[in-house]
Amino acid sequence: MARYYDLDDIITEDEGTSVIFQVGANGVGLLDPSSENNNVEKGSKVDLPFWLAHELYLRKAVTINFPACFNQKIRKEIQADAACVDLKIQCPYFYEFGCKIIPLTGDKTLGSFLQYAFTSRYKEALSKSHGAGTSPKFLNRLTIEETHLFEAARCSMINLKKWRLGGCRLEKAAILGRKRKSV
Amino acid sequence: MYGRRASRLLREITCCEPGQITAFNSDTFEQVCNECNEHHQQLLSLIKKIEDEQLDMETTRNEEHYGAVIHHLSLLRNKRCLMAYMYNRAEIIQSMRWKIGPVLPKEIHEKLNYSEEEYFKNHSTAIESYMSELDLDLTVDMIPPKDPYIQVRVLYDIGDVLLGDHSTSLKQNSVHSLRRTDAEKFISQGLMEEFVG
Repeated sequence: MARYYDLDDIITEDEGTSVIFQVGANGVGLLDPSSENNNVEKGSKVDLPFWLAHELYLRKAVTINFPACFNQKIRKEIQADAACVDLKIQCPYFYEFGCKIIPLTGDKTLGSFLQYAFTSRYKEALSKSHGAGTSPKFLNRLTIEETHLFEAARCSMINLKKWRLGGCRLEKAAILGRKRKSV
Repeated sequence: MYGRRASRLLREITCCEPGQITAFNSDTFEQVCNECNEHHQQLLSLIKKIEDEQLDMETTRNEEHYGAVIHHLSLLRNKRCLMAYMYNRAEIIQSMRWKIGPVLPKEIHEKLNYSEEEYFKNHSTAIESYMSELDLDLTVDMIPPKDPYIQVRVLYDIGDVLLGDHSTSLKQNSVHSLRRTDAEKFISQGLMEEFVG
């Protein structure tokens, strides 16, 4: 519960996960659009957010289908040219979600795959963050975790330049907005 | 889907630039609270069904039980989202006291919820009473100073201000050499800028 208030963690757990109910559940018809009464039948296949799927899995109420964003097709694409794959469209929190899903699927290869994907994409992101212009196309391909790293690298570069050149050290509070109002 | 609305509330925070505050979304907040109440009602009615069938609450694992579990989990999830929403906003509100000072500009004030305004006021009072106990202004010199005096250019008419033992008239576009500690709050409020060269 260390990350109880962590926004990224909460949104990661919102990722859809396809599950099959091993038991029936009454009074929760909203979960299954095809259900006619207000119940979910045993054996029905439903998309649940991860937070719910995880807890129900621990109670042995559902089994989890392997998420599509880590399927063989993506793995092959990553192996071919990791930097060019649009991971954000697969899953905005690709790595975090991957780490969360590993214990639930028992897939031994997923961990090393995630590591491979991250290390091969990291180099490109780091060198681009120090360069002058970056195409928005490239930024759109990064997952949220990669975007955070990218921003951190860029920010430290800006700070370094500012420190070397000197100049204003006191600044207007960022929360007031950058635009100066016309008088 | 359960919990969808609550996470939309949080996405609002992550979408805006870090450190900025969005207007308090009381509509969605209310709706999520109502969702919580609904889950609670459903939960109670499912539990009642189990009790009516005279089954043991702790060991029963029938359809009602799993329905109740799902409502319970959704309730906890919604609670977590609401707590995180308030917590992350409170962090920003705290930092505003250090960056802007005890009085918030109107455009930020409008974005706060009533309880958040109270929180800001109380936080501000707590800091002030601590500082007066120490007899030291903790909000200045956040960046280590190189010189006790700096050159500033006034961006907006501020008027006559008592600085130290004499009053200075701070007119727009005039340049002054002020004590750094005096200038700092005007700069962070965006009324002056550091004047170089």
